[in-house]
Amino acid sequence: MTTLSHAPASSRPIPNPEKSLITKLHMGTGMVVGIIFCWGTYFAMKAGRDMTDTHNVNKVLLMSMFAWSVGFLVGIGAFIGPFRWLIGKDLTAEEQLFLAGDGQGIKRYFRYCTDHKVVGIQYLVGVMAMLGVGGTMAMMIRTNLATPGSHFVSPNVYNSLVGLHGITMIVAMIIVATGPFGNYIMPIMIGAADMAFPRLNALSWWVLFTAIPVLCSAWFLGGIPTGWTAYAPLSDQAGPGMNAFLATIIIFAVSTAVAGANITTTVVAMRAKGMKWNRVPIFVIGATISVALAIPAFPTFMVAMIQTAMDRTIATGFYDANVGGSGWLYANLFWIMGHPEVYVILIPGVAALMEIAPVFVRKPLFSYNAAIAGFAGIAGLSILVWAHHMYMSGWMPSLNGPFMVTTEFISVPTGLLFLVLVGTMWRGKPWMKLPMLSVYAFIWDFLIGGITGIYLSDVPADNYLHGSMYVTAHFHYTLMGAALTGAIGGLAYWFPKMTGRMLNERGGYISFWFVQIGFNVLFLGMFIAGSEGQPRRVADYAHLFAHANLISTMGAYSVGIGMLTLLWAIVHSWRSGKIAPMNPWGAKTLEWTVPYPVPLVNFDTPPVVTSDPYGYGRSAK
Amino acid sequence: MSDHDHEVMPPTPGARVATFLKRKDVSQTFMLWIFFTAVFVVLGLWAYPKWMPLVLSKQMQANEDIMIWFTVISAPIAGVVLSIATKSFLNMHRGDTPPEDGIAIRTNGPVVIVWTATSVLFCIVAIVWGLVALNTESIAAATDAPKSLIVDVTGSQWAWSFYYPAQNIHTHTMNIPVDQPVTFNIVSDDVNHSFWPVQLGVKVDANRLVTTVAHADPSATGPLDIKCAELCGLYHAYMETSGAVQTPADFASWVSSIQATGGVEQ
Repeated sequence: MTTLSHAPASSRPIPNPEKSLITKLHMGTGMVVGIIFCWGTYFAMKAGRDMTDTHNVNKVLLMSMFAWSVGFLVGIGAFIGPFRWLIGKDLTAEEQLFLAGDGQGIKRYFRYCTDHKVVGIQYLVGVMAMLGVGGTMAMMIRTNLATPGSHFVSPNVYNSLVGLHGITMIVAMIIVATGPFGNYIMPIMIGAADMAFPRLNALSWWVLFTAIPVLCSAWFLGGIPTGWTAYAPLSDQAGPGMNAFLATIIIFAVSTAVAGANITTTVVAMRAKGMKWNRVPIFVIGATISVALAIPAFPTFMVAMIQTAMDRTIATGFYDANVGGSGWLYANLFWIMGHPEVYVILIPGVAALMEIAPVFVRKPLFSYNAAIAGFAGIAGLSILVWAHHMYMSGWMPSLNGPFMVTTEFISVPTGLLFLVLVGTMWRGKPWMKLPMLSVYAFIWDFLIGGITGIYLSDVPADNYLHGSMYVTAHFHYTLMGAALTGAIGGLAYWFPKMTGRMLNERGGYISFWFVQIGFNVLFLGMFIAGSEGQPRRVADYAHLFAHANLISTMGAYSVGIGMLTLLWAIVHSWRSGKIAPMNPWGAKTLEWTVPYPVPLVNFDTPPVVTSDPYGYGRSAK
Repeated sequence: MSDHDHEVMPPTPGARVATFLKRKDVSQTFMLWIFFTAVFVVLGLWAYPKWMPLVLSKQMQANEDIMIWFTVISAPIAGVVLSIATKSFLNMHRGDTPPEDGIAIRTNGPVVIVWTATSVLFCIVAIVWGLVALNTESIAAATDAPKSLIVDVTGSQWAWSFYYPAQNIHTHTMNIPVDQPVTFNIVSDDVNHSFWPVQLGVKVDANRLVTTVAHADPSATGPLDIKCAELCGLYHAYMETSGAVQTPADFASWVSSIQATGGVEQ
């Protein structure tokens, strides 16, 4: 199983691969062609159209954004392979080796590279950039909310900050674990030479990459006033910046579909000999369940956005009550994606921590089957709970009871995740390194997130809490406190394998405590504000909420300092950190059996698995 | 699978439990459990009543009860998780080399079953509590309808307006009498809003061209804050007004004062 094995024997070889077009293409050519496509489409569509009509403006902008995306992919060479197939040929073995980035050094990170390790690093850097942008917006939001009556930003800018912070962080969190670790680490963990579809792997990243400038363009088009939920009819009313949001989601949905199909196929079809399902590392199980959940979820998001785009461009009226449409249709489509998405984010982070706990406690993972049951139970129930976000919408009040029942029951499989972690800790003597600290932080954060989720899922309590700062605090405890903490733990754990160096411990510890203390101050303050009755997404508030908001803002700055420290630790360690041994943690999963740099096809000899990776422990005396 | 020896245990279940309870780590964990459980109980009983606003309706009382008692009920479960985690944390190993392997406990059937059963039980309590509260509210809304005060609420960017059909008055603040049920008929002129008279513990979206209904049983007099809980555009933060739950006499006086000015609040 090597990347080269995909080359058909009938390919007509190109004598000198250096003369192949594929070797000339990179991110720069992609951007040039993308910009040409974008502006070409813009001017071609604009010609002869009445641009005072907002429908026409929306049409032109949307198509220009999609043209950028397609143009970039053409310019970077994403379609050379499919084009060859159309004419009955394929890439040569030499070209495939080139695509795999063999011997290209740092340049491969800027090319359409099929090596899963390169894609993993691309995702890691991309996620860090997104967290940086989204975090900066969070700091601006909290600065504006530090005192009542603040005019740090205008209401219009504030609303855009809320929306763009939301969507940037949601996208970042969806890929924060499955992107870097699912791509870099997971194939090695299962003993594969690469992903099942290496070219699709590159496609998933570069498609996502094209969404980033599109989303950024929202700022220059007037921002988005809708929050990341983009409810109709507010989204119909929104200005041209809304098109950037719609295009971003549509492009992102393509990326997740491609990545999801690739990861699930890889895990099903490419596990090493002897790696039965009950020997698969729990992170792999979690990541697979997560992307399998994403595959049906994100298309509904895409459909919701396409219909919004149609309302805005050709006046279809899907969500326009004036012509028989309904905003509830949008809300349903959005939340059919929106709640599974929470678990798409959460599960890989938890699974990473479950991978970490046995290594540092030096005990087997407690009840591997319960962990799988927890993940599967959450995934199964998560597609039956979406309307708990709509208890107060007025849509089908008679369904509130049934949705409350399904939602409350999610606490049962969720409880299993806690059991697995504390069961692993029980009677253990944990090696207190940075990855293990994240496990403890997760337990506290997710416990708070979980308990407050029980109130919110109960209709009578949600009567009060819905739409308040309490909800904002709750979901940050689950998404940031749990999933991001899991991802940071995963980064600290796998950093040596991904970079060949140890993550700076002092920087890591400083960052950890600043982030965790700040995080709890930030969102406990927000719980108070929500309990007191402060609505969410408000640019200003009554004096009653002043203390709680000031506390929250101070916590936010602490998180900011912590995240900057983590960034410094990562950059410093990556450049000049202590060289990592092959297996610094003494772990038993396959990725720790390969050296750094990891060979192109990962293993010189395909591994054979004879046990599960949690064989730690001694018998009791 | 790795083949690990299992812990040597006493022969009978009773002896096993006795041995288990005598262990120092178990007693320490138990003490931590008491501590964390107490913290959550106090948090529920003290914090929410302190943080949450005045209770001016039966609905608000039901909301606050759930916040308080769900916290109390969940306290022992949260205590288990936090006590084991804390005990483990305090037992940490420092240094650059990993500690010796711990005891190989791959699973424990009874523990998994008891934990799952406890989660299910807690879940059922929460569901039954919620369904009973929901049902009580539905029945009250239906039976109270004939004697309810009707208030038609309209949300528009970025203000609330109210019409009292029986009194034929239009207002921009919302007063209601205590001890008389109220039915709110809510609609939006433009985008989605969410009608939230905070101290009544009631919240329903205002949708364009669709009327939604909410019901409240005001049970005490006091000031009302009426907010929008759904992002509705530029000045969403400022879409709020005030009102009060009044004595019937004060309410009648307020209505009369508006009727005297042509039925429109100045």
